Amino acid sequence: MASKTLFSSVKEETRKNYIAIFEQDWPVWLAGIFIAVLALFIFLWDSPWGIAGGYKNWGNWFLYAVGINEKKPFVPWLHPMSMSNFGIFAGALMSALMSRQFRIRQAPPLEYAKGIIGGMLMGFGAVFSKGCNVGGFYSATGMLSMGGIAMMFGLGAGAWLGLKYLLWEMENITIKPMVQKKKKGPFMGINWDKVQPYIGASIFIAVIVVFYLYSFVDKTTLGGILFFGFLIGLVMHRSRFCFVRAFRCPFMTGEADMVRVVAMSLMIYGAGSAIIKWAWLKEPMIGVHHPFLFGSLGGGLVFGIGMILAGGCASSTLWRIGEGHLKLVMTLIGFSLANSITTKILAAYELTDKLGKGIFMPDIFSWPITIPIFIFFFLLWVFLAIWNEETEKFVIF
Amino acid sequence: MDLTNINPEQVLNTCGLTCPMPLLKTKKSLKGMGSGQILEILGNDPGSKNDIPTWGNKNGNEFLGMSDIDDGVTRYFIKKG
Repeated sequence: MASKTLFSSVKEETRKNYIAIFEQDWPVWLAGIFIAVLALFIFLWDSPWGIAGGYKNWGNWFLYAVGINEKKPFVPWLHPMSMSNFGIFAGALMSALMSRQFRIRQAPPLEYAKGIIGGMLMGFGAVFSKGCNVGGFYSATGMLSMGGIAMMFGLGAGAWLGLKYLLWEMENITIKPMVQKKKKGPFMGINWDKVQPYIGASIFIAVIVVFYLYSFVDKTTLGGILFFGFLIGLVMHRSRFCFVRAFRCPFMTGEADMVRVVAMSLMIYGAGSAIIKWAWLKEPMIGVHHPFLFGSLGGGLVFGIGMILAGGCASSTLWRIGEGHLKLVMTLIGFSLANSITTKILAAYELTDKLGKGIFMPDIFSWPITIPIFIFFFLLWVFLAIWNEETEKFVIF
Repeated sequence: MDLTNINPEQVLNTCGLTCPMPLLKTKKSLKGMGSGQILEILGNDPGSKNDIPTWGNKNGNEFLGMSDIDDGVTRYFIKKG
């Protein structure tokens, strides 16, 4: 056997792991497990994971800059959800660069319009449900808040309506595809494909440095939130994990894969949060503020339509921007502004508390019954989706 | 399979479109084709690299393969069942 140096052995092992991590797609079921675990880490570290609050902060800043908001908002780098959103974007951007998948991706004008309108609908809906698909559905359900279940039904109905629109659009509106461009030579003499991984690695180093900087100024919690968001963004991009597919695919192609994954992820999240809350490691009512019934249901409906038009939910908007999709930048702008403005309007008319109230599942069903019902409900969802996959009973196209 | 010698009956360009439009348009195009005919899809959404091959093997159809061409565009071939 030829003798190998330690350096060559490490180099070879690093190369193999690089290929496995960044050049092959991760199985989406693995991402479902990771995301549930990371969501539980965030809950233990600070508070339940959410995204819309960060978008609202950015929207508030814009309104403040143009003189509509008089009060100066919380600075984004000290706002927890804003920090986790930055983290998700950074993780996805690093993943895209390391896998040489980052490029500026333009879209036809109608797609940009759908991006903005879809974002606005999501931003609007998220106010009524007091959270997006993450805060109002995924985390809400994980926290055993009945509002999460109500929003789930709203999302399903909204996805159906959104898909109906897309089918109508396909029949009635012609969208000219983008013209294929010939591959350009090196930009400024630099081979972009070779440089991308190095930029990606520097983003990873930057996130670690920022974490330690936050720790140095006694803001370790915020630094940790950034890092957990970074891991979520990395996992989501590597696996192309998208909540939208769990609601859209059963009606579009009949596929049940994402339903299985989201249901499994929720069972892990819910079980973990139940243990934490039952043992009073965290106060049980944390993350149980979603307006059951009509706020969550109605908000979910409008959000569901929006996420279909935009082609991404609150979380997948961030990781797709990390991949370079300009349409989703429009979505983020629409979401942020609509969420901020709608929040102001609802507060001005004192409607915020009239949409419903937070209901904790164990308060209705008791702890011994809640967990079996929770598991049974999501198993039912999965079996219904599998039956639909075989029969295409609910496929509308 | 040698994709360079395939002569598709129809070419669908989805460049610039993002999820779910490439798959929706693919499904619509295939519906209008006859059994044994080949559809070529051009697309540059990375998500399509999973979506189209996975869906292309369902409902009796056959996904023949894909190849990357210029500037991030991929060609996909599906044979209608």
